[in-house]
Amino acid sequence: MNPITEEMQQIASELLTAQEVKCVLGWEKGTLWYQSAPAFIFSPDEASRLVWDEFCLPNLSSYLLDDRYSQDRVAIFVKGCDSRGIVRLLSDQQLSRQRVYLIGVPCPGMKDPAAALGQKPGDTSDLPVASKCRHCTHRNPVLYDRLLGQPVPEVEPSGERFAHVDEIEKMGIEDRYAFWEKQFARCIRCFACRNVCPACNCTYCCFDLDEPRWLDKEVAPSQNAFYALTRAFHVAGRCVECGECERVCPMGIPIMALNRKIIKDINELFGDYEAGLETSEQPPLGRYNPDDPDNFA
Amino acid sequence: MYVLDKSQLPSFLEAMAAGRTVFVPAEAGGMTRFVPWQAGIQLYWEENPVISPKELFFPQTQVLYGYRTLGQQLEILSRDEGNSPRVIFGLRPCDAAATGIMDDVFLTKGYEDSLYRSRRQNTLLVVLACRRPGPACFCTSFGLDPTRADNADLMLYDLGAEWGLEAVSPAGQDLLAKPAGPVERQAAAPEFAGDFPLEIKVDHLPSGLRPMFRHQVWDIMYQKCLGCGTCTYLCPVCHCFDIQSHNRGVQGYRYRCWDSCMFSDYTLMAGGANPRPTKKERVRNRFLHKLQFMPERYGKFGCVGCGRCVLKCPVNLDITQVANRLAEVVANA
Amino acid sequence: MPENPLLPMAGQIERIITETPDVKTFHVTFTGGKPFVPRPGQLAMVSLPAVGEGMFSISSQGEQHLEFSIKKAGMLTAALHEAETGQMVGVRGPYGNGFPLDLCRGKDLLFIGGGIGLAPLRSMIVYCLAHRSDFGHIQIIYGARSPADLVFKEEIFDRWPHEPDTEVNITVDVGDDNWQGHVGFVPAYLEELNPDPAGKVTVTCGPPIMIKFVLQALDKMRYAPENIVTTLEMRMKCGIGKCGRCNIGSSYVCLDGPVFTLAQLQNLPDEY
Repeated sequence: MNPITEEMQQIASELLTAQEVKCVLGWEKGTLWYQSAPAFIFSPDEASRLVWDEFCLPNLSSYLLDDRYSQDRVAIFVKGCDSRGIVRLLSDQQLSRQRVYLIGVPCPGMKDPAAALGQKPGDTSDLPVASKCRHCTHRNPVLYDRLLGQPVPEVEPSGERFAHVDEIEKMGIEDRYAFWEKQFARCIRCFACRNVCPACNCTYCCFDLDEPRWLDKEVAPSQNAFYALTRAFHVAGRCVECGECERVCPMGIPIMALNRKIIKDINELFGDYEAGLETSEQPPLGRYNPDDPDNFA
Repeated sequence: MYVLDKSQLPSFLEAMAAGRTVFVPAEAGGMTRFVPWQAGIQLYWEENPVISPKELFFPQTQVLYGYRTLGQQLEILSRDEGNSPRVIFGLRPCDAAATGIMDDVFLTKGYEDSLYRSRRQNTLLVVLACRRPGPACFCTSFGLDPTRADNADLMLYDLGAEWGLEAVSPAGQDLLAKPAGPVERQAAAPEFAGDFPLEIKVDHLPSGLRPMFRHQVWDIMYQKCLGCGTCTYLCPVCHCFDIQSHNRGVQGYRYRCWDSCMFSDYTLMAGGANPRPTKKERVRNRFLHKLQFMPERYGKFGCVGCGRCVLKCPVNLDITQVANRLAEVVANA
Repeated sequence: MPENPLLPMAGQIERIITETPDVKTFHVTFTGGKPFVPRPGQLAMVSLPAVGEGMFSISSQGEQHLEFSIKKAGMLTAALHEAETGQMVGVRGPYGNGFPLDLCRGKDLLFIGGGIGLAPLRSMIVYCLAHRSDFGHIQIIYGARSPADLVFKEEIFDRWPHEPDTEVNITVDVGDDNWQGHVGFVPAYLEELNPDPAGKVTVTCGPPIMIKFVLQALDKMRYAPENIVTTLEMRMKCGIGKCGRCNIGSSYVCLDGPVFTLAQLQNLPDEY
């Protein structure tokens, strides 16, 4: 057994036995061999379900919003990106630090489940890195109460991170419009991207409101674009780049290109900034400096 | 059986498309779904398209009627849905079975849904027999035969270098009588090979579930659900819809659109009460709807084992796992 | 039945009666007469298409019109409350099963209503009074939060009590300076009046909390679940048992309901 898996199961069992937490959130094997699904562990004897492998893609942090008013303490395993999701919830004051016991897991990068689809279980070394991990800047958790295993070396951020953004920016305005129109046209408005996002943490989302209905339920390109762009701007400066929105999208819409465009612009306008690193953070779009750039061109 | 060299398929489809729209599985706009055939289109035969053919009878958004208002006046403008002949070419037995279930929902139990009927009644189904199970298939759990569909007009067989065609209905027979059509010849339908990766045990369904509504198993099962609409929207059987207005000044239209029982506002009433207030009640309703309520109401399960939700649910809230967990609970009750 | 069951007919609000500060009754007429003759307890979808569409019980009907008694709750009902006579609305229906007349014929009837819950009961009461000899003794127990919140005041005070073999008992949760009548919640008043269950069918409608305690009281008084009839409310969109949202177990409230006996409800999941 993977030593991290073993340690996970042991810690979960200990925490639940000592009744320090009501529940442990981790991952367990799913239906297909390349699926590792979120697991909610409530009793020590269930701890053996927990696993750590190269398919633990889901970021579990947004589950803490389901019981955001609960006083029950929970333990949660966090990769680098997941820990930034926790920081997001903490700095947005959607979660109290005392409620969560954070068990950090350094992450070497997950494998791409789409590439494993239809293949027999086996050696995964040939599988490509999951697209959500390709431009990771924080493989080690940024916030934790306890760390499993040894930190992994961080990868120097490369220009690759914004390569897709650059490519889209180079398109003419007509082509760029056509590009995004084509992407949004296939949106089925399942809201998976919003529901999984730790930055989408409003208690009631304006897109769910029936009266008044800001977003037509009509699935038309204009409405789909309105939804996607509004959401992108709502998480502007707060997106922790966990890539979950794009991972969960059943239609394969390149949502992160939109988020990274905004990140790139923020970096250029306000200086390099990464969201979800410190709980005391003041996001660039959440503060005002007299010398902020104010060109409107 | 009639056979057709695979290279002849475009001309066969072209002949079929004269005077009707022929929908084929293809990659379109970054997604696989059924789209109108046209010359040069790249067909997709690997697995089920991500979007099921239900959108051809029950589009995600569909105008019900138009209206004009002026002062206190109101004029209702009924829209005539065209019912031009159509063929769905190459859907699989699971999607064909799902179409049969949708027929029961929209065309029986007191009311016929005329919008559904106008699209359905002029549509012929050319059903592709499967030769192997896909990575998340379990149609046989529900007694379906992956090589046959009772409601097919024509069965389509992959014979390697050729397509085999077998008429099931007189309308299907007519489809074969095209110039440039397939030729009749002795040929055997291909063998189905391979084990199904997934299975639902249905022996205890639906009756065993009746006493389970308040069972504590539901307190655990829903936890990982994200409350998104992926499963319901990709499901070929899910048919829930909302009705809304598109209003622009003095005119507009009422439309129906897919809705999902996973959404928080789905059962929210104007006064603020909600009989299914949390994910738990919604998840329970979705699975019981498929495994208990639809069998009780229509005598058919609300699932055909196509595997789309198993492959696409972002958190692997898998109906086979849920159903088999329920089976354990029922067995131990 | 019209070709498209989701297509409304345009009607016109001919008369508006202000029942309480937040309930109005609308008489809707149609060119060429009533498009359908609803049975007591049936429903119809009423729409201001630009605002929305909602399912309402048809509280009564005339030769030429349908009546809807509507409480202000959301945007559609607010817009309807602002409407003036002459306003046109969309109407489609009738939907639902209506009250079980066969069960009620020849029996004594006990109606128990709370607040706007008297609206569906009224269609049945009006029917019974029009077919008086088909039914036995009629007792109506009705309550509201305050005297101002009592609906159909003319009928409950001046007309129904004078009908043959008909008894009307009114109560309010909280009285006011002029209130001479009974004060107290409906379920408590019911227990106080303690009507005999023998040969009786009870029909009750009101806020969920009232229904809950009325059912408890009836149980205590040994009313059989088969003879207790109530109506349910769920969010509805299509009204024809297709759109899915109003299901309780395998029953659709819009089609198989909204009227159920308690015996039927006891066989359904209690998710309403």
